[in-house]
Amino acid sequence: MNVLIHDLIAYAPQILAGLENTLLLAAIVSLTGFCGGIVVFSLTLSRSRLCRSITEGYISFFIGTPLLVHLFLMYYGLPELGLRISPLAAAAVGFTLNISAYNARHLMTAYRGLDRMELEAARAAGFTEPETFRLIVLPQALRLAVPALTNQATQNLKDTSVAFLIQYKEFFSQVQEVAATNFEFFRAYLFTGLVYLALVALIVVAARRLERRIALPGFSA
Amino acid sequence: MPLIECENLVKQFDGKPVLRGIDLVLNEGQVKVIMGPSGCGKSTLLRCLNLLDPPTSGRILFRGEDITRPGVDVRRLRQSIGFVFQHFALYRHLTVQENVTLGLRKIRKMGSRMAREKAVCELERVGMYEHRDKYPAQLSGGQKQRAAIVRALAMDPAVLFLDEPTSSLDPEMSREVVSVINKLFLDNVTMFCVTHDAFLAKYISDSVVFLDGGAVLAEDVAERLFYDHPDPRIRQFFLGVIDMR
Repeated sequence: MNVLIHDLIAYAPQILAGLENTLLLAAIVSLTGFCGGIVVFSLTLSRSRLCRSITEGYISFFIGTPLLVHLFLMYYGLPELGLRISPLAAAAVGFTLNISAYNARHLMTAYRGLDRMELEAARAAGFTEPETFRLIVLPQALRLAVPALTNQATQNLKDTSVAFLIQYKEFFSQVQEVAATNFEFFRAYLFTGLVYLALVALIVVAARRLERRIALPGFSA
Repeated sequence: MPLIECENLVKQFDGKPVLRGIDLVLNEGQVKVIMGPSGCGKSTLLRCLNLLDPPTSGRILFRGEDITRPGVDVRRLRQSIGFVFQHFALYRHLTVQENVTLGLRKIRKMGSRMAREKAVCELERVGMYEHRDKYPAQLSGGQKQRAAIVRALAMDPAVLFLDEPTSSLDPEMSREVVSVINKLFLDNVTMFCVTHDAFLAKYISDSVVFLDGGAVLAEDVAERLFYDHPDPRIRQFFLGVIDMR
């Protein structure tokens, strides 16, 4: 144990840099995945059958295939097409495509809980479809989807640990490097787990506060 | 002067006729109530008139302009028609006041302050001012319907369509809403109202249209249609409706 603590202190700058990279990636992809999810969700409501089919295909592909495949496609696959990007960029794009699909699915589920008559009323009042989406559909769908979206945010944080497989120096990979020098694997991984748990707990607390803050009478997810 | 005229209006769903050649005229300042048995096409007629369901054939003239021809600005047309639904259809993430101001700000392009003042004025008109900051889930059925009427009225529509405004309310709440609609009638608001409620029809209408099987069977003032009509089908229908009350 003492060896691990000694090494953690000795390698603190490297580990903290890894933690910073983890938080950076999680923050970027949670934000881009959130925005991407809204865009994909709006496309699922398109009048064009072709657009809806393509969007459904996109969602099925990214939900139905492992995240690691998306990351490898971006980091190892794209160079074959002449496009070489940094590990952070590859991770950001791969995660965003994946998370957008999941978030769109969460919003679609929430959309099913909306009162169709409200949409009819908006149409009858003369709102355009984009206005109806922005003013009626989205505010309600987002409220209903808050628990699912915040669960997704915690998932995003945990999933960043696989980014080390495309050379992204995130927290887990840095602790692993320390463990490789002192062979204290069990304690090192336990320590990693506890750090992730603490970060997830922070997200959960923030999510509950957000849920309470935006709660309205008649709305429950 | 006719505000809305429909000529030989036909609506079919999957080849099944719901409206079979309706001819109707609604003049400015007039209130026409449409009654008839369930499934006779009453609500479909209203939905066709503001193109929520485009008619299969026939013509609808709004202020003399054929709105069934291609290229018509449907959005502009709908802004001239206030629509009140049976199940209120209030936006449940918005307060009563926000429900009213949303259309004013986004469609009428009014500033927030002006929209708020207009909303307050309209809410006072139907006794809903004290409920302005409540969400739909916090209102009774009658209050929800009054809020829905205000939301439609605030847009200063040329005509108000009411689709069974009292059907989902208990008698007490129903009276609340009838008194509001009656007030609009006295204020000369042009209205097309679909209802099963003979009480409402009697107190707010200039004339009642009886629809059966997707066709207009008769049109007359309420008293004559309810109590003194020669057609046995119509007598039988109103006997049932009025007895039930």
